[in-house]
Amino acid sequence: MACLGAAAILGPLGWHAYASRLPSAYAVTDMGYEDHGGHDMAMPTAGTRSVTTLIADPDRPADVRVTLTARKEKDRYTLNGQTPGPAIHATVGQLVQVRLVNENVPDGITLHWHGVDVPNAEDGVAGVTQDAVGAGREHTYRFVADQAGTFWYHSHQISAEQVRQGLLGALVVATAAPVAGVTDVVALTHNYDGTATVNGRPGETHVDAPPARRFRLRVVNTDNGEVSVRVAGAPFRLIAIDGTDVSGPALVANVSVPVTAGGRADLDVTTPADGSAVRVSLSGAASLVLGPAGAPAPPPARPATRLDPLTYGSNRPLGFDPARPDRQFRYDIGRRPGFLDGRPGLFWTVNGHLYPDVPMFMVTEGDVVRMRIANHSGESHPMHLHGHHAVVLSRNGVPATGSPWWVDSLEVADGDTYDIAFVADNPGLWMDHCHNLPHAAEGLVAHLMYEGVTTPFSVGGTAGNEPE
Amino acid sequence: MKLVYRILAWAVAVEVAVQAAAIVGALFGLTTWVTEDGGVLDKAERESHSTPYPEAIGFPIHALNGEILIPLIALALLIVSFFARIPGGLKWAAVVFGLVILQVLLGVYGHHVPGVAALHGPNALLLFVTAIATARRARASSAAEPAHA
Repeated sequence: MACLGAAAILGPLGWHAYASRLPSAYAVTDMGYEDHGGHDMAMPTAGTRSVTTLIADPDRPADVRVTLTARKEKDRYTLNGQTPGPAIHATVGQLVQVRLVNENVPDGITLHWHGVDVPNAEDGVAGVTQDAVGAGREHTYRFVADQAGTFWYHSHQISAEQVRQGLLGALVVATAAPVAGVTDVVALTHNYDGTATVNGRPGETHVDAPPARRFRLRVVNTDNGEVSVRVAGAPFRLIAIDGTDVSGPALVANVSVPVTAGGRADLDVTTPADGSAVRVSLSGAASLVLGPAGAPAPPPARPATRLDPLTYGSNRPLGFDPARPDRQFRYDIGRRPGFLDGRPGLFWTVNGHLYPDVPMFMVTEGDVVRMRIANHSGESHPMHLHGHHAVVLSRNGVPATGSPWWVDSLEVADGDTYDIAFVADNPGLWMDHCHNLPHAAEGLVAHLMYEGVTTPFSVGGTAGNEPE
Repeated sequence: MKLVYRILAWAVAVEVAVQAAAIVGALFGLTTWVTEDGGVLDKAERESHSTPYPEAIGFPIHALNGEILIPLIALALLIVSFFARIPGGLKWAAVVFGLVILQVLLGVYGHHVPGVAALHGPNALLLFVTAIATARRARASSAAEPAHA
């Protein structure tokens, strides 16, 4: 009787643990189940193509050439000897060519161009679009910077660890005609071992500027949690989100600007004419002070309200009709106890299933896609879709009325539901995951997949690919 | 088996004390870090899972203990209770296990409902007392029984 009781408890647990083991190598296209988003079946496709064929024009010479050499130094990762890595600057339309050299990172590395809708082969996801670049090897990325804005790059191999420990940098794509009289400043935030930094420096960073100097402040949040940007000493405008300009941005003050983990926000702020300084508080105690040398900096602002992009700016046509979608998906985020690769724990679920039993959102090129992201997992999740920008249609049923709110990283708070839409215009296999990177490692990952696209790469395997 | 049963019940009680120590240490450390060392806590900081002050290690200890280790100990207690032949042993092991599950649910899902979240504290006390009572009952039952040859 006792044995029976014990077996009744241990049997199912053991079976679940056993069944959750992952194979040593698997293609993401064999993982989980296909979700055709309302289509009854797979669309017939004219043959298949490999992600490796989805590249930029191979005959076009590069306009911007950069070599980044990655090194592991104790528990840090550096690029060309520094972390954050050097900011890469390009002008819209230029072809960017980055040679990534792995000097000594034993687990291998990649670079993902966060927010840039690159051709799929250049997306830098180990095990999906390439093999991790092992120590002593190199890999070249080529893509056209086709959108002016603020972006960043980071490793997508063992990303939870490699990004936290510094394998990242900013990517700035300037407009063809520079705006006269505006000083461009990158403010990349990253937390190194408990210390919040801006451009690698903790605490207060002074940026020398005369009175009435106008800035475009490019905030990049490379951390796993949202950053609240607060401006003291001057009003400002939020002029871009995730690399897309905001239409009709109003002048605001005493509001904080939430920047999603992995997201970007560009602020237009001018130093006051009276010679005082402006303080822009970023993550933790890190802040930028803009103003004349020696000018007293105001204390950090403590706004009680947050700027809400759902209503900020002026409305404008989207350029496509999300009311007639070809595909409709839901991305429900939950959490429950279970086993992942034989390990017990509380894990995230996608549409009720634990990793690797997650949906493959299947699309064909040209589809208008709608997705409803609902979070009832107890924690907020910064959801990041690779290779595409999606527009927010509504939050909790309240329609977006401000400037079109284009995102590649969207903070979905616990209890919130977002309706987003995008045009499937970039064929490939694209991750759609939580950018709180440890959450992705805990299974909060799905993929957007174009019918007929295949990958020769696998997660695990001899290259040791481990994208999360 | 009775001894194993008692050890596991005591282990649950000890673990509850460890949980209290870890989380209170972490929260007091946080207060000191903010008020005396100029620390600023935001979501980016919280999600960095780093230890800007030493006591912050209490947060991951609390999570790992609470979500994995204590449920496993309580589960082991429940299974051992089948074999330990303690009168009422299964019932009390089941109560301990139930309180552990309730505690995990309150900890994980109770964050956003202030009244519910607060029950995480009293339920810990209830679990602590119940685990000790369960261990002591088992001891009483072994003392009452003649020793095996």
